[in-house]
Amino acid sequence: MPPAFVEFLQFLLSGITSGAIYALVGLGFALIYNASHVINFAQGEFVMLGGMLTWALMSAGLDLPLAIGAAVALTVLAGLALEKLAIEPARDADVVTLIIITIGAGIFLRGVVSVTLGKDFHPLPSFSGDDPISVLGATIMPQSLWVLGVSALVVIALQLFFRYTLLGKSILATSYNRDAARLMGVNVGFVLLLSFGLSAMLGAMAGILIAPITATNFEVGIILGLKGFAAAILGGLGNGLGAIVGGLLLGIIESLGAGYISSDYKDAMAFVVILGVLFFMPSGLFGRRRTERV
Amino acid sequence: MTLLRVEGVSIQFGGVQAIQDLDFVINPGTIHSIIGPNGAGKTTLLNMITGIYAPSTGAIYLDDVPITGRRPHDLARLGLARTFQNLQIMRTMTALDNVMVGRHLHLNRNLLSCLLRLPSVTRGDRQARKRCVELMESVGLGGYIDAEAGAMPYGALKRLEIARALAAEPKLLLLDEPAAGLNATETKEIDEVIVKVARSGVTVVLVEHDMKLVMGISDHILVLDYGRKLAEGTPEAVRANPAVVAAYLGAVG
Amino acid sequence: MAHNVRPSGYSKFAKKQTYTRRMGTKKNRAQMLLSERGGGLSLLILVILVLPLFLANNYHYDVVVNIGINAIVVVGLNLLIGHAGQISLGHAGFFGLGAYVSAVLTARYGVHGLVALPVGALGVGILAYAIARPVLRLSGHYLAMATLGVGLIIHIVISREAWLTGGPDGMYVPPLEVMGVAVYGGPVWYWIVAGALILAVWLSLNVIDSPVGRALRGLNGSEVAAQAAGVDTTRYKVMVFVLSAVMAAVAGSLAAHFSEFVSPTKASFLQSILFVTMVVLGGMASTFGAVLGAVMLTLLPQVLADFADYEQVILGLIMMAVMIALPKGLVPTLTALVKRWVRRAGS
Ligand SMILES: Nc1ncnc2c1ncn2[C@@H]1O[C@H](COP(=O)(O)OP(=O)(O)OP(=O)(O)O)[C@@H](O)[C@H]1O
Ligand SMILES: [Mg+2]
Repeated sequence: MPPAFVEFLQFLLSGITSGAIYALVGLGFALIYNASHVINFAQGEFVMLGGMLTWALMSAGLDLPLAIGAAVALTVLAGLALEKLAIEPARDADVVTLIIITIGAGIFLRGVVSVTLGKDFHPLPSFSGDDPISVLGATIMPQSLWVLGVSALVVIALQLFFRYTLLGKSILATSYNRDAARLMGVNVGFVLLLSFGLSAMLGAMAGILIAPITATNFEVGIILGLKGFAAAILGGLGNGLGAIVGGLLLGIIESLGAGYISSDYKDAMAFVVILGVLFFMPSGLFGRRRTERV
Repeated sequence: MTLLRVEGVSIQFGGVQAIQDLDFVINPGTIHSIIGPNGAGKTTLLNMITGIYAPSTGAIYLDDVPITGRRPHDLARLGLARTFQNLQIMRTMTALDNVMVGRHLHLNRNLLSCLLRLPSVTRGDRQARKRCVELMESVGLGGYIDAEAGAMPYGALKRLEIARALAAEPKLLLLDEPAAGLNATETKEIDEVIVKVARSGVTVVLVEHDMKLVMGISDHILVLDYGRKLAEGTPEAVRANPAVVAAYLGAVG
Repeated sequence: MAHNVRPSGYSKFAKKQTYTRRMGTKKNRAQMLLSERGGGLSLLILVILVLPLFLANNYHYDVVVNIGINAIVVVGLNLLIGHAGQISLGHAGFFGLGAYVSAVLTARYGVHGLVALPVGALGVGILAYAIARPVLRLSGHYLAMATLGVGLIIHIVISREAWLTGGPDGMYVPPLEVMGVAVYGGPVWYWIVAGALILAVWLSLNVIDSPVGRALRGLNGSEVAAQAAGVDTTRYKVMVFVLSAVMAAVAGSLAAHFSEFVSPTKASFLQSILFVTMVVLGGMASTFGAVLGAVMLTLLPQVLADFADYEQVILGLIMMAVMIALPKGLVPTLTALVKRWVRRAGS
């Protein structure tokens, strides 16, 4: 293989890995947005909670799978509490007010974790060792395969959930038309709660999957949350497939940009790209333009 | 001399042909009504005339100047003003401030003058406020001057839309179902307002379902059906037109 | 909303009276005092005049000057968010840019501070103008994303270009000089910032009660109706975006010279969020709400400093609790209460 190609492949693989994480986080944004029209700026904190709780539970003596399960469950609990205690009481508030509430929730969660678990970076052990696997001359870590594999499974599982279960369908119905869904007997309050629980689960899984690669601390959720938001917007708000494509695209562009242009500006790439896209497509790649009838 | 000329105008939304190859003219100083069943394309036509939608084909002229595709605020400058079928009220503002927005083009709206509150700004605002109060009183909103618009009843909001449009001192006023949802007394009041406006020299385009109102005050009527012209002429001619009777009036009863 | 509290005295019931006869009644004078232009500005000036009596040391001055600087930003941001209804999650970017233009020009290139400040304001104005048109075509969460992106990019550039900006460690800024004398110390800065704040508030009140202000609120209430009334909505959105960015930049320059130090946190996402929170906390579309929001949220960390590690926990809790309890913000809620009280006392 020519070295230039190997290099490119290497960038691509690492881009897809982080892209899958952004996609999971973005999917969490889309889920909540669809059910409630709230943008949950505490989404990144779910990611952080997943990683940090897994680390804490492992330090307390649990083995990895058990710690993961418990961390996901606890994060889901945090998601449910967020909806019940902060979002539901503010149902009719403005967009800006809701943004501030969720950002406040994020600051709160970060604060609680930094007070209880400290501010240090903690790596998680890779799920199945650290022996790199060679792909056409480039290498990929087994953990990246875990990221890709689990993300794909999650996406498929969600798809099945929405298509074949009554609960999934009632979430979809609520996102299309809340009032109509309510009239059809959907328990809208429960659907909102569920969407926060599901998003928290997605976030926690993303945080756990990525922690062996990048390590975790109480602040990792800030930037991951913003990039997940960027992924959701890039794909077109509320479009699940869009969030996945948006996340992968962001990851790849970021990795290629860091590799070929400037690694200093890795974090800026995602936002330059999204500004560029929004200038031409104000509703993202797959978002539908909403026109108001007068 | 025509005030407004519409030539071969069409527009579609997805598969829906909302207006198809439509021609008509509006003469100055008249009340020109546009009627037709629900979904006939009346609002869409108004939206194209006022620049909210651009027609996919055809051309629109105001005073023989092509205005096709011009932006709404540009057209306002040329003397167009309108009301909306789905109320477009600035709900957190007072009723008077809503009407004052309608007067926008007549005021000193230079940013620097406004920042420094130059006398020309305060003087202009004071005069405008007086004029807007008069207008509100003339459409029967004298009791709502300082009310928050969002708290006003539906019938009053309909009139607020008219007052706001009139505040621009337009030469062509387009009203989209001003009497919809009003009771008989309110409709009669609106009727009087429209006639009064027309008498003051403003050309009026009226979209309305209330046949009694339309037949009573129109000089000219255009009948739309499925985006096409079904008939046009004086109220008498339209009423006698068999196609209209069959397709529209007949159906309504 | 507070901008609706105007001195003219129309009431639903006074149908028959003429416009002029209703001015200047007793009730109107009470309302006049409650209005932003009448009572508000006088009250602000009064507070500013009296406040130094209670400032005992440098630390007090430090806090109060920072309140004033933040208030200038927030008064401008309130025009954008509260009146025009356009959200920005990136205004700390403009604040930071203003600060860094002043810092870099004076420290590295020996430019006079009084020249650097307007250069920064102009530069930020031009940048804001360039990005405003495409950005403000967006609405809702898309606009939030775009402004957030702009702010983050500015923050990242400032953090990375260490050769110019000192990077994450920040850089030293020489004190401002006026006619060869260094402006130095809390009390002097107090009056400078107080003057700038009063000016900002006055300009803001002027704009709010003018055709421009009504156009902004109009396009917020119904964009299509504003357009039909002749308001070039894009132009006005761009205008208020640039105005608020320039105000942020000027405040940034003042902040840089006052603290004689700048660091990228001035341009951070969290700082942007704090500015927006100040607007909403004080009350959307209320100029004095903006000032009050700045007071509260600048004081809060000082108060919370005693709680050390728990600062973030408490800040987060307060943000959530206040927004849930008072979604309309402090000043509109309070004015509504006082108005009800005045009405009851008057009848
Ligand atoms: N923005 C739009 N997007 C898609 N379809 C539209 C849009 N505006 C109008 N239409 C369609 O165009 C057709 C004409 O609608 P329009 O609102 O002009 O009818 P109308 O004559 O005003 O009806 P009504 O009497 O009910 O007000 C309808 O089929 C409508 O669904
Ligand atoms: Mg219609």
